This record gives sequence, C-alpha cells and structure tokens, in this order.
Amino acid sequence: MIKPKIALYWCSSCGGCEESVIDLAEDVLDIAEAVDVVFWPVAMDFKYEDIEMIPDGDITATLINGAIRMDNQEHMAKILRKKSELIIAHGSCAHLGGVIGLANFYEGRDILDRAYKEVPTVENPQGILPMAETKESDRELGLPNFHNTVKALDQVIEVDYYIPGCPPTPELIKNALKAILQGELPPKGSVLAEKKALCYTCSRSDSKPDKVRINRFKRPYEMEWDSKRCFLEQGLICLGPATRGGCGERCIKANMPCRGCFGPTDNVIDQGAKFLSAIASLIDSRDEEELNKISDSIPDPAGLFYRYSLASSILKGKTQNKT
Amino acid sequence: MIAFEPKIIAFLCNWCSYECADSVGRAQKEYPSILRIVRVMCSGRIDPQFIIEAFRRGAAGVLILGCHPGDCHYKEGNYQAMKKYTLLREVLSQFGIDKDRFRLDWVSAKETDKFIKIVSEMVEKVRQMGPIIPLYPLFEPLCIPPC
Amino acid sequence: MKHKEIRIGVYICECGPNIKEAIDIEEVVKFAQGLENVVLTKSFNLLCSEEGKKLIEDDIKQHNLTNVVLATCSPKEHEITFRKVLSNAGLNPFLSQIANIREQCAWVIKDNASATQKAKAMIAAAVKRVAFHEPLEIKEIQYQSDVLVVGAGVAGISAALTLAQKNRKVYLVEKLPCIGGKVARYEKIFPSLECASCVLDPILDEVLHNEHIELLTLSEVVEVLGFYGNFIVKVKKKARFVDNKTCIGCGACFEVCPVKVKNEYNEGLDDRKAIYIPYAGALPNVAVIDRKNCLQFHGEKCSACQNACPFRSIRYEEDQIQELNVGAIILATGFDVFDPKKVSQYGHSENKNVFTSLEFERLLSSTGPTGGKILLKSGQPPKKIALIHCVGSRTKKYNEYCSGVCCMYSLKFAHMIKEQLPDILITEFHSDLCLPGRTPQSFFNTLSDKKEVDFVQVKSIDSVDLTQKENKILVKYEDSSGRIKNFTFDLVVLSVALEATRDAQEVAKIFGISQDKDGFFLEEHTSISPVSTSIGGIFIAGCAHGPKDIQSAVAEGQAAAGKILSKLIPGEKFLLEPITVEVDETLCSGCKTCISLCPYKAITYDQEKKVVSVNEILCRGCGICVAVCPSATIKARNFTDKQIVAELIGLLEV
Repeated sequence: MIKPKIALYWCSSCGGCEESVIDLAEDVLDIAEAVDVVFWPVAMDFKYEDIEMIPDGDITATLINGAIRMDNQEHMAKILRKKSELIIAHGSCAHLGGVIGLANFYEGRDILDRAYKEVPTVENPQGILPMAETKESDRELGLPNFHNTVKALDQVIEVDYYIPGCPPTPELIKNALKAILQGELPPKGSVLAEKKALCYTCSRSDSKPDKVRINRFKRPYEMEWDSKRCFLEQGLICLGPATRGGCGERCIKANMPCRGCFGPTDNVIDQGAKFLSAIASLIDSRDEEELNKISDSIPDPAGLFYRYSLASSILKGKTQNKT
Repeated sequence: MIAFEPKIIAFLCNWCSYECADSVGRAQKEYPSILRIVRVMCSGRIDPQFIIEAFRRGAAGVLILGCHPGDCHYKEGNYQAMKKYTLLREVLSQFGIDKDRFRLDWVSAKETDKFIKIVSEMVEKVRQMGPIIPLYPLFEPLCIPPC
Repeated sequence: MKHKEIRIGVYICECGPNIKEAIDIEEVVKFAQGLENVVLTKSFNLLCSEEGKKLIEDDIKQHNLTNVVLATCSPKEHEITFRKVLSNAGLNPFLSQIANIREQCAWVIKDNASATQKAKAMIAAAVKRVAFHEPLEIKEIQYQSDVLVVGAGVAGISAALTLAQKNRKVYLVEKLPCIGGKVARYEKIFPSLECASCVLDPILDEVLHNEHIELLTLSEVVEVLGFYGNFIVKVKKKARFVDNKTCIGCGACFEVCPVKVKNEYNEGLDDRKAIYIPYAGALPNVAVIDRKNCLQFHGEKCSACQNACPFRSIRYEEDQIQELNVGAIILATGFDVFDPKKVSQYGHSENKNVFTSLEFERLLSSTGPTGGKILLKSGQPPKKIALIHCVGSRTKKYNEYCSGVCCMYSLKFAHMIKEQLPDILITEFHSDLCLPGRTPQSFFNTLSDKKEVDFVQVKSIDSVDLTQKENKILVKYEDSSGRIKNFTFDLVVLSVALEATRDAQEVAKIFGISQDKDGFFLEEHTSISPVSTSIGGIFIAGCAHGPKDIQSAVAEGQAAAGKILSKLIPGEKFLLEPITVEVDETLCSGCKTCISLCPYKAITYDQEKKVVSVNEILCRGCGICVAVCPSATIKARNFTDKQIVAELIGLLEV
C-alpha cells in the first residue's frame, strides 16, 4: 500500500512548531507508520533536488511553518504549493505572520542596520551589510534577498488549512494529521481549532462578573495573580476574548494571561483592532485627561494587541507619509 | 504637479452630527467637497476596524463627530466612542499614522459653523501632511468583512 | 454566501433645480450604469412625487429589481417614503439605500465638477452597500395600556383620575404612608383662601375608592426596564406592619407606644410615636410603624401596640418587590424646600421662632402641632411678624430661579395671620414681587390698599440677616436706597424656595431621564413638549418639573394623562424597531464584554448555554455592543460591518 506523502518545511521560524511535532511523543510513531515523510529539513537529511523530483500534486499535505521574509522561503513555498495537494499553514507565523510579523513596524533597511551595525556588541567597522550577490575574486556568492516586509504564508501562496498557535499544541497537530489521513476535513480555508474565542472554554469565565471595569492597566510582574478569577477583572490585559480557542488554556492554567497566539475568530479581520475595541470599553472613565493617562499606562499597545497578527492585519505594518 | 486632495472620511451619528451636516446643507453653506460621510446610528457603533480600513483604502484623514457628552440619543454611546478613540489614536501613531489625521469631536444638530470649522481645519491640516502610503500597495486583494 | 443575482436600480432625483443645476446629471447616470450589479439607472425630476414613486414601483416589478439606490435628498426626509414604495412593489423595504446628494452634496458645493465627483462617490458607495442589505422583518407587539404614576400629590392624583378608565389600570406609587402630597398639609390655598382639605379630600377619597386605581403607599420604584408600551417596573413595597383592611385608625396603638420621636410631617415641630398616623385626617387612615425607631426592630421585645389593637391589625411582615408591566409612566414626585439651616444668614437653627414656610403651614393647620394657633415657642401669640421673601430663590448664592409661588403664599399667610390675630403687626420684606396672571395682583392689592401689611422693599435679598436678640429676632437689611436698617420681631417666616427633591438624582437615574442644572426633571422641549421627557413613554408633571402653583401642577398631570390616553389605546399594537442587533450563538464565546455596555439592559447572559442573548423589545439598535464584540458575533441589522465597509470602499474608490 502506498502511504500518503507528508512534507514539513520551515521558513522564518524559531523551530518551536517542529518541537511541537516531536512533542507528540509516542504518537509520532503512529504517524511515522501511517505516512511517508518526503521532506523535513530540520529533522531529516533531504536536499532541494529531492523536492524538485517529486511529481506535481504528489504530496498529500505539506505543513509549512514560519513567516515569509526571504526570497528562498518564498521560492520554497511556491514549489511546495505545486507539489502538494494540501498546504497547511502550521503555527502562528505561517498563519498570521506571528511575532516575527512585528518587524513590519520597521523598514527592512533599518532592521539590517540595527542588526549589523548598531547593536553594541557587534564589531563591524566597515559597515558591511548582507547582500544578495557579491563577487569575491572570481567566485560569485549569493544570499537570499531580505524582503522589506514579513508576510503570512497565504499572502504568497494559496493555503488550504491553518493550524494556529505559537506553537500549536501537539493535540491540534495530531488531530489535523488524522483528519487529513481520514479525509474528514472542514471547508477549505478553515482554521483547525475551536470556532469560539477562548472565554468559552476558560475555567475562569464562570466567575467573571457581567460588569468588568478597569481604572488602571496592571503589568504581569506587579503581583501574585488570583488563579481563579478572570485576569481582566483583576486589571491585567488578557487577549482571551479576542482569541480563538482550542489551546486548552495552557497559559491561563499557568496563571499567565492569553497573548492571542491563535489569532482572531472567523468573523474578525483585524484581531488587534477588535481587541482594542473591547478593552477600551472596559475602561472606567469618561474624562478625556484620565482616559489619556490610562491609555498611556499600556507601554506598547500596538505590539501587545497585534503581537501575533500584525502581518495579516488590515494595515499589515507601519505606513509611510509622503510629503 | 497635481495638488494633493486629501480624502477625509467622516463618521456621523444619525441624531446629532448627521443632522448637523443636513442643517449645513439646508443653510446652503459650503465646506470642502472632499469630505465623504458615512452614516451610523451612534458614534458608539464605530468599530476601530472601520477607521483602519478607511486609512488602508486611501483616506488621508478620519473624523468622528458625535453628540456632546451627556446628549447621546442612546445615553452613552459617545463615551464609548471616546474611549476607543483614545486608545486607537495611540495605536495608529505606532502604525505611522500621525495623531492629527484622526479626530473625534462633538457637534449638536444646530452647530453648523462648528461643523464647517472642524471639517475645514481637518482638510487643511491633512493636506499639509500629504497622503499615507500603506505597507502593501492598494491593488493587493482586499477583503470585505465576512458579516 | 448569496448566490442570488443582484439587480440594482439607481434613481437620481433632479429635485427641481436643486440637484439638476448643481451636478452633471448625465455624467452621473452614465457612471452609475457602469457600476457592478446595476441593471438600470434613471434620472427623474421629482422622485418623491406620485409619478416618481410610481416609476420606481413599476420598474421594480418589470425589471425584477432586487435592490434600489436613491440619489436624492437626505434620508431624514424621505427614507420612509421610499421604503413604502418598495413595500408596495413587493420588495422588503430595507433593500434600499439613499445617497444624500442634496443636503450633503448639491447644496454645499458650488463647483459643478467637484459636486459631480462627490455625487458619483456617494452613489458608488450606496450601490456597494445595498448589495449587502438583507430583508428585515417588522414585528408587531401588543403593548400595555396600564399606566404607572409615581407620586400621589396633586399632580399625580390629577393624572391618575384622568387616566382611570375601563381597560386602563393606574398604579399609583407613593413613597409616604399617606397621599395628598404637600397640599394635604396646608390649611388654605391661594388665591381663593379656600380650605385645602375641603378641596382635596373629595379627590383623595375618589382615588382611594376608584376601582381602576391601585394605590401602593410606602413604595418606591427601584428598577425600570423596557420602553414606551412595554415597561417592566420593579416596585419595592415597604412593610407598613399594619393591615390596611382591618385598621380603622382609632389610635389605640399610638396611645400606648413608649417611643417618641420628632414628627417629620409637622416639620419636627412636635412629636409622634413609633406607630403613628402622620396627621389627623391623613389618608389612608391607617397606622404605620416606623421601623427605624420601633423597639421591636432593635431587638427589644415590645408588643404594646399589638396588645392594644382591638382589631389585631398589627403584624410584622416583610418588604415586598412587585413587578408591574405598564405602557407609560408619569413622574410627579414633587419638591422639597430650601433648607435655611445650612446658612447662618437666616438664623434658622439658632432662633426658636424662625420658621420656614412649610413649618408655618403646619402651625396654621388645624391638624398641626398647635391645632392652627399661631404661637411662639413660649406658647404666647406673637405681636410682630416678619415674612421674608425669596429665601434661597433669585440669588446666585443658592438658586438663581424664582420659585413663582412664594409671593403668593406669603400674601396668603398675611391674610390668614390677620384673620387670626387682628392686632398683629406684619411686615413683608421683598426685593421684587412676582404677581403674574389673573388674580395675584388683586390679591396683593387687598392687603396693600388696606395697609394691613407693611411692604418693605430691600435692595437685595442677600443683604437680609437674622440674629437672636434676647428673645426676639433682629432683622437687618439694606433698603432700596442702600441704608442699613434693622427691626425686631417676635416671629419670622422665611418664604423658602421650592427645590428639586433630595433624591431627584437617584430617581432620574432609575428612570433614565435628564435633569436641568437645578435638579428638576427636564422636559423634552421647553415650549412644545413640556410634559414629555426625552425618554418616550416617561412623562413629568407638577413640581418635579419645576416650581409651580397648584393649578399648573394639576394642569400638567392632566396633560400628561391626555398624552398617554391618545397614544396607548387598548387593543392596538406597536411596531417594533426592526433595526436591532442579532447574536450568532454558534460564535458567541460568552466573554460578557457587551452586557454591561447596553444602555437599555437588553443583553443577558445564559448561564447554561454560556452565550448572551438580546431582548429585541428592549434593543434600540445603537450598535455599541456590535462595535465592542471581540469575536464580531453580534450583527447590527442594516448597519452590519460588511455594509459599512462596502460603503467606505465605494466612497474611497472614486
């Protein structure tokens, strides 16, 4: 019997999504039994040529994690799209751009300058920046081009399904793979997690009062948080209401507030904006000056509200003014 | 060189500011023709996604005009607008959108002169600031909210 | 996803010359015809005319139009007109959208090219938006024709009696244990100087015996939900502890009660017991126990009254909450007087013989502490009385307004004092006299002509100062030429201002109505809508609405009743607002963000399903909940996210 072919690839990524696959523990063996992994650079020794040789559409499903920031990543994504029946955006970065997407608040040029010249511990007196092509004696050396913006996977190729999370839970990955292998998938474009936001399954929502009002936004380091009460009620920002559920509330159970890594629910395009709307309405003041002060107590609102979703928000990143 | 005509989107609430715009019309007073009005029932209805969408689609400035505090037809919608505005303004500035491009103010149904003053001031200020260049070009496929 | 074909008809109104001369109609027609989903574009001279409306109706039927865009005057003018056209053509009225190219385009832009450009943008926006419109159902609801009247003073009672008819029940809620308000505690009323109880008692009796009026004494409204036609009101009925069916007011209980406290119904001038009837003749004539002072409620066992009662009427019961379902509410909660104790200028607290007008009314009353005899605290009748006008009124220090009735009641006092004590010397200190209308001037003239009263004009009421001088009262003031003068009197009456009740703010909050800067309840429009408030279905009458005399209070009570009688007709139905919100339970996460933001308390949380639900009767369609929902699961009918963004795109694309 020919086993279905599976591929996994990573773009701009931290490796956490791959770790999550390993975290399937013994279940990995079941997967290994059921599929033929034809490409997984981080774990097995495959070469680029191996992928080129695979007939188009021959791979049943490819899980791609990481955001797209470099030429080679875009190139690989496009090739894998050709070779695969299904492309699954695996993890926050592929799904939404992830934390890496926050780089869209800066110009590509500024990022390189910072990393290669301005960081205090870097020794680079000649101010050399990585370039796509250089000639050294008679050799030509190349590096992939560094794009000016971070993109989510579906902004370069067509994506069939999404497994959200930073990283996704092993259960989610296992369920996704099972669904693929059994052919029981929801409509194309679905996110393979819960439909409702986190509050629905959060154990703290039963005791959450109907009326929550905040007069000061607190920071996580400030105190020992009550592990039974809703974080918002305690004055700590938790993105739960604006975040898709399905993670099993791992962070909440560790007594830390949700940071929104599963992205928004189906009807929402811009997770940061919707969360802003909700959190603003909880502020307990009607005085302009006071509101400004309370708003100032959040040091980096855009970074907090768009932590994982900036690259796929409405504006996607910093705009420029042309005068 | 064509002078930059900044498109300004104004969200007006049905009871005060939209009525005010109509009053300006009935009095046949002029204001910059570039103002584009969207009618909502209450300034509290305005979703930050709308504001961001407006900037994304080419607006150079966004104006929200609601009822004076205490006069909201629905009691407190304008306070909700105020809260969102305060936070959104900060976030927009982090997106490189100058705070002066986004303004919230209050007019009653009869304050025609105030309406004209606010609109004219805004158009002038934004004209001097120039257009906004979004990170992704406008021809990128854009989507409409699902519901 | 709608797979139904969208066929939009665009109609551009020339509005006579108004729009025709301001924009290039032909260009706009051509532009509109080229828009996506538009199958038909026409311009017409006057779309709101019969021909115009017929044109649209015929086109809808002939061309199978699914949506209509009207580029016309403001929707505030003709939204309803054109929606009716759609209904007549068999199309849901909400499948239309108006582009306001008159008030917001033709009339405000002089340059033809710019106006044309804006008109195009507005039409493009309307076309994009209307493609996402959904048919909305207009639901009918039976409304309640019963009415709640809060306050059983003259205004409330006049309203209640006017309303009480077959098929209309009136709930009359009164905070005190007795009805009649302030007027029941006066001896005589101006200008006729009739006996107050002769005028009032028959009316109060009618209230008590009218089968359509349910009287709830010792009761206060604690919650109001709903809207005009369907209010759900919670009333807290405080326990009287005396059965009003068996008590006949014989007084056996208060004779034996060991507790004595100051009687607030006599303004503290004498005492009452912890079980009491407020004053002789108070209606209903049933005793009441004051639980703040009754020993039984302080842990001591005392059943003196219980034992003394020949009818076993005393029982220790609980407060109750009664829920009422009414169609309209009249607030007639009356007034409180200015408290001169808080200012030393009037020497009210230090002087035993300085009385406010309300205290003096009780002195004059045959049911009062002295049985109607004007006596000093020493027990002797006074020889010299001063009446000081405008205490707390017409001054920036306290209340800027004129209370309107104090001059008249001061003159009334002068008449009554002279009648009882013919040899007494009366001086009235005033800065101006307020005598509007038919009778007041002659009321004043009878006193001033007969020189029975000495009228002294002071420079300003702020200059009046009272101090104790031995056992008399020294009145110091600045006369009209600026000289400081002083005189001594045995007794002084302060004609105090009528103010909003001390709890007016709480009451306003419960009913959701506004107050003016002095705390009185605010009418919808000063000139043309004086008894309505900005909240539909809630009316105001009497002094709760501002100081006024009995005649005006009665008139307002009857006016409010009239307004309600004409609108709430039993058997008829109200149409519910169709532009409300809708929750998608499959997506709601129960985060509860929206619940506390609804100004009408229309959203509730379902503990079992862990989702919220919206009461469509209470929802007014403001959309606050829609904007804050972090999952975008609440939809604002006719103002959905999709529709608004589509409109935005249309406006910015052109």
